[in-house]
Amino acid sequence: MLSRPGKILTLISTLASATIAIAAFASPALALSLNPDAASPGIEKINTLHWILFIVIGIAIVGVNLAILRAAKPRHRHIQSDGKGGGRQLQVGLGLGAVALALFVTATVFSSQAREVPTGSSEVAGLNAEDQLEIRVTGQQWLWRYDYPNASFTYHRLVVPVDTTVALDLVSADVIHGWNVPSLTGKAQAVPGKTSRIYFRADREGVFSGRAFVLSGQGYDSMESEVKVVSPAEYEDFVQQLKAEIQAAQDSVVATQQEELRAAAEETPGGKVEPQP
Amino acid sequence: MSSFPTAMPPTRPEVATGDSPDRPGWARLATSPDHKVISLILISAAFGSVFLAALELVLVRLQLAVPENVFLSAVTFDRLLSVYGATAIFLFVLPLCIGLLYYVTPLQIGSRGTALPRLGQTGMWLFILGGFLLYSSFLFTPPEAGINPFPPLSQHIFTSNNGVDVWIASTGLVTLGILLLAIDLLVTVRNMRAPGMAWRRAPIFVWSAAIVSWQIVIIAPIFLAALTMLMIDRQLDGGFFTGGVGGAPLLWQHLSYIFFTGVYMAVAVTTLGAISEIVQTITRRELPGRSAVIGSLVAIAVIGTLAWTQNMLTTPIPSGFKYYAMLMSIALIVPFGLIFYNLISAVSNSDFHMRAPLRFAMGALSLASIGLAVEVSQSTIAVGSQLQQTYDAWAATHFTLIGFGLFGGFAAISYWYPKMTGRMLDEDRSRISFWVMLGGTLIALVPLFGAGVEGQVTDSYRFFADENVGLFNLIATVGTFILFVGIVLAIGNLVRSRSEGAASPPDPWRGSSLEWLALSPPEPHNFDVLPDVRSTQPMRDIRESLVRREAGREAPAGERQPVA
Repeated sequence: MLSRPGKILTLISTLASATIAIAAFASPALALSLNPDAASPGIEKINTLHWILFIVIGIAIVGVNLAILRAAKPRHRHIQSDGKGGGRQLQVGLGLGAVALALFVTATVFSSQAREVPTGSSEVAGLNAEDQLEIRVTGQQWLWRYDYPNASFTYHRLVVPVDTTVALDLVSADVIHGWNVPSLTGKAQAVPGKTSRIYFRADREGVFSGRAFVLSGQGYDSMESEVKVVSPAEYEDFVQQLKAEIQAAQDSVVATQQEELRAAAEETPGGKVEPQP
Repeated sequence: MSSFPTAMPPTRPEVATGDSPDRPGWARLATSPDHKVISLILISAAFGSVFLAALELVLVRLQLAVPENVFLSAVTFDRLLSVYGATAIFLFVLPLCIGLLYYVTPLQIGSRGTALPRLGQTGMWLFILGGFLLYSSFLFTPPEAGINPFPPLSQHIFTSNNGVDVWIASTGLVTLGILLLAIDLLVTVRNMRAPGMAWRRAPIFVWSAAIVSWQIVIIAPIFLAALTMLMIDRQLDGGFFTGGVGGAPLLWQHLSYIFFTGVYMAVAVTTLGAISEIVQTITRRELPGRSAVIGSLVAIAVIGTLAWTQNMLTTPIPSGFKYYAMLMSIALIVPFGLIFYNLISAVSNSDFHMRAPLRFAMGALSLASIGLAVEVSQSTIAVGSQLQQTYDAWAATHFTLIGFGLFGGFAAISYWYPKMTGRMLDEDRSRISFWVMLGGTLIALVPLFGAGVEGQVTDSYRFFADENVGLFNLIATVGTFILFVGIVLAIGNLVRSRSEGAASPPDPWRGSSLEWLALSPPEPHNFDVLPDVRSTQPMRDIRESLVRREAGREAPAGERQPVA
């Protein structure tokens, strides 16, 4: 049996460790919001749902752990009669069921508004389905390729106009890759043989990025998704210039090849080499 | 204790094992079909594995202690991570749960052995083989395709060395072994219960055994099928999981997550069953909501396993799957809440001495409550798809698995340790190891919630200074060290108490289920006499009838006469 100072010491140390545990749990999470720089309509809803869940879950965790501490605290109690307590079970079960139902309804409402289902339709969340910009995003070990509607393409960085609905068609050239720009789209997997379509509409200019989240081999740690949001005019200039550059590069490659073939044909004695198409 | 019937006449003599005392100890250990020997090998292997898993976790966390660390190379990190995952799931929690159930359940139902002892023995050896195979891969190339090796990455064109083949073979052998043990367990609890032990009188842990073995009988073949398909893809140029040519990479995710989610729930059901037994014994009362607890255990196994797509919220599957997974996951609040309510209020309303089993049980409930609550936010589509594959999800999973698997496992081991070894576990060392482990777990995992909300992704061998997660990771690394020390202390206590612990009587806790009728450790045939079960607490009935017999009173007609 513990002496009186021993009991007090146990009590103090229990309370202190509980306080530390709760503070340690609460402080990092309280200081953080899920996406502080949300830049697309649905992401705000995710933030709100995250806060709701955080508060509900925080209360649940603190409540359960306080109950455990109280139950485990060494002391003499008045022991209740050995009743069956069936009524209490039912009440607690109904209460928890109500909580679960409320959480489910809340989460469903927010999820459908947040366009977080990557295969969802573009009608949700007030996105304009008529003039959306469709971009094909191809994951490969370990970078992303973006194909714009005018047959130009970039690697690493996607450039899109502000205030325009963008539809990304995620595909993969090799293994599963994780597309992840938290401030704009959230996470979606690019799976070989499947196309996942996700939508976003950036409401301000800037550069947004995130890390790939599906282990895809040894260069996985450096695989990043990056989106640069610019004004529509800048976007037009960018893709036009890109197309021109790509055309020029292709032309020069073709020219060089033909030059080499011609030279080879001249060197070959009596030989005749047709230029490749 | 003096009134305990240690020398009852063997009214129903039986040879359970055919064991011969002439053979050397190791040969008897290797060939004994006795469920107690098999289980002790499984449990010892599980605690050896948790040491290895903790060591690997420490190395992984050391690499992640500071941004852009160069302690491990990318491939070494991937290999350690893959082996860590396989060790924690296949070599620690699965054999621990099955080992505990396989040891205790036949005793609790008053059986002299298991129904199919050679099947169980085969299962145990398949498990041992799988474990050795996984670690023998350190001689050539360990698996490197991640904790769950998604095809196409795990296919031959992208990972051409033998690491993934080893992963497939070793997890396959372990799963097959566990499946055989589960079949034996299921047949035993269905057919070999003592006379009078209807299901309504069976202990909660026996219900756990029935639920878990049914669950494994259903999910293990699914996983074995997936492994076979991956093996065919790798070795015979099959196309089950190849995208674009008629295969489906997502099929692997469905099949493997059915198994992993099922295992997660099996761990919860096993430990909650064990904790219920501990709470009933230490508070000396039957749980008032016994039927609610049993119903909730069934609900957890069914609903939890059906929620497998909550791991696939970011994949291009029809959104109906995702809403369904969210519904199932949130519905789990009800059974888990009912069990937590029952256990905590039972402890709260009683007077008891705090002993090691209850302390670990309370720690398990505390840690698992954090993990399970955060899992709820992981399973909502909007938030969950943002948090998946971050350290927030990692921390939630680890809170639940460390809570149920490690703390729940130590609770169950501390409770049945006197029965298994005939010695008491050292209480002081147990208390120290408990607090070190609890502190280590909280320090190791709570900061990772912050890192996950900041967006740090798992499985990456390094992170960068501009991610603002350096402090979280540093604290987590320190905590993992403390947790490792705690695990070493706790395992050391298990080993030392075996030779140094005080001798234990057959019934040190005054339990109410039948395993306490057997000697400590039990004879190979478990019981000399088989009791006639008339209530949910047969040992209490036996004690009462002994008290009556000593007092010289005849039992009134129609009263309980438990010993046949």
